[in-house]
Amino acid sequence: MTLHLSRLTAAALVTLGMSLPALAQQQGVTDTEIVVGDILPLTGPPALLGVAHNLGVKAAVAEVNAAGGINGRKVRLISEDDGYVPSRTVQGVRKLITSDKIFAFTSISGTAQAEAAMPVIKQAGIPAMAPITTYEGLYNPTIKNVFAVGYDMSNAVEELVSMMADRYPGKKWAVISQDDDYGENVRAGFERAAKAKKLQVVSTQVYKKGQADFSSEILKVKQSGAEALMAGGVLGENVAMTKELERIGHKIPVGVTYVSRVPASAKLMGPAGENVYTVDYVYLESSPQGKAFTEKLGKYLSAEEMPKVNRYSYTGYAAARALFEAMGKCGKALTWDCTNAELAKVKNLDTGVMTPISFSATNHLAAPKLLLLKADPAAVTYKAVQ
Amino acid sequence: MGYFVELVVSGLAIGAIYGLVAMSFAVIYKATGIVNFSQGELGMLTAYTSWSIATTLGAGGIATVLIAVVAGAVIGMLCERLIMRPMLGEPVLSVVLVTIGLAVVLRSIVTIGWGAAPHKFEVAGVDAVLDIGGMGMRVSQLGVIAMLAAALAGFWWFLKYSRFGVAMRAVAADENVARLMGISTARVQSVAWACASALAGLAGVFFAVIYGLSPTIYELGLKAFPATVLGGFDSVLGSGVSGLVIGVLENLVGGYLPSTLKEVAGFFLILVVLMVRPFGLFGEKRIERV
Repeated sequence: MTLHLSRLTAAALVTLGMSLPALAQQQGVTDTEIVVGDILPLTGPPALLGVAHNLGVKAAVAEVNAAGGINGRKVRLISEDDGYVPSRTVQGVRKLITSDKIFAFTSISGTAQAEAAMPVIKQAGIPAMAPITTYEGLYNPTIKNVFAVGYDMSNAVEELVSMMADRYPGKKWAVISQDDDYGENVRAGFERAAKAKKLQVVSTQVYKKGQADFSSEILKVKQSGAEALMAGGVLGENVAMTKELERIGHKIPVGVTYVSRVPASAKLMGPAGENVYTVDYVYLESSPQGKAFTEKLGKYLSAEEMPKVNRYSYTGYAAARALFEAMGKCGKALTWDCTNAELAKVKNLDTGVMTPISFSATNHLAAPKLLLLKADPAAVTYKAVQ
Repeated sequence: MGYFVELVVSGLAIGAIYGLVAMSFAVIYKATGIVNFSQGELGMLTAYTSWSIATTLGAGGIATVLIAVVAGAVIGMLCERLIMRPMLGEPVLSVVLVTIGLAVVLRSIVTIGWGAAPHKFEVAGVDAVLDIGGMGMRVSQLGVIAMLAAALAGFWWFLKYSRFGVAMRAVAADENVARLMGISTARVQSVAWACASALAGLAGVFFAVIYGLSPTIYELGLKAFPATVLGGFDSVLGSGVSGLVIGVLENLVGGYLPSTLKEVAGFFLILVVLMVRPFGLFGEKRIERV
């Protein structure tokens, strides 16, 4: 009897001993696989960016797997659709962490969505990339496990208006922005640039989110004598504003945020986009880097997926590449702490799709260099100015 | 003065779109006594369907309008036959809730079928800007104002002189008596849905041509709702005219007051009007609320 018990104890110890390495491993990581997840708007109007972004991540996953994976482990992506609804983002984030047991997030949806999900992500300590939204709460103060790839929207607007002011000196300015946090960022950036460049601002208007017709706003801009406009809409709003300017024959330079820098926007504006400027840290599709990336995407995406590619595919790819790079540096002992620490050490990472990415222990916003772009109605895209 | 006139004229262009949708609300209410909350979605689905057909055929302006009317009517008849007809005789609240469900389904159909990305609804020549007395107007904007005028005239004649229009008014006045007089309620309902959907479809197509085609077109239903309330739910012509009033009011508020008030101006107006005339400016007093 005693002998029998001892054998049982020994067997249990052996079994426990065998399972110890597995227990020590971080969730989402096995000897052969690493599971990553993303939560995005894959349905509804914002799916224009969510789907495109997801395709960029898919390409990065396919590329790393084709190269043998990360230290021999293949990467598997689980994507959740939040429909751009914050409550669904929180649900999806919980599911990915606790049920799917992912190792890291390659993206965490939009501003309000990321804001809602942040307490869960922060508490879990799971590495999370934020390449779609770069709202201040993601990086100021620095959160140990959250890394934003992009440029602060208000800083981007400040840069854009400053560059345009240099290009068109002495002009009277107008600004039209949305009545939400996005609009607040636009206004903050515009005001800083106006102060720094001593711009004469003759019209400031705030419109209600969801508005489609901008005829009165644009007539007001003309009435005020404005000779340059910062159009702080998302996409359709900026198109409507430029088309109204064209209708009333008020041909003035217009700045739009990089959110609008998608082919659909250029196509919808048509000839009305003649004087439209933006800034972006993502290379143009027509640039040599853009062409090389398109060729790469062609290897990993289907023919149905390729037309859905836009600048957000570039950001998705770049953020996933930064994450994989950090994971790769952790070797076989892949943990959240190691990945977070390695991400904080990323310096001038050239992903080939945007200006280089850098983080530090005290700065988790990549803030790549911005390029000034101008709409090109003939080519239905944007072209580099500098 | 020029600024005021420009605000009014551009307000008429967006108001004409509201007017068409508002008329569609009123047509269904007049024939069936229910408020169809999927009117904006019917306009959106018609706009997408018309876009697919028109771009495939390379249709011009007039052909696109005809496509919108036919597509809208077919979609409306299908919805009535498959979803609303089985609800005949059910409590009004249940029927109204079904229209809300239909709205959600139609939104999903559009996103699944055509995707969420915005598209340009290109029709040759309609984006051109015409100089009218020193004021720029797009052909499409003038087109939608003309379309509303035609719809108002057409419905005035239809309701007053056509046998079917009289039947529709009879059903609206007293469904049971109308049925005893040999009028097919189901047929009237079917025609009402076809007409309403065609009107909403025209609004959707013009909106898509002017502002771009995207799934947010369904919000037109919400935007046009104040016009229907203002005009009176049982007044097809009053609703159409009220669309123009709301459009102009919005633009004047946007032009002279802070822009954030523009979107709520219509709702503020109906609050005031309903306090004075609860049945709307042109509606009949015996309106029943649900």
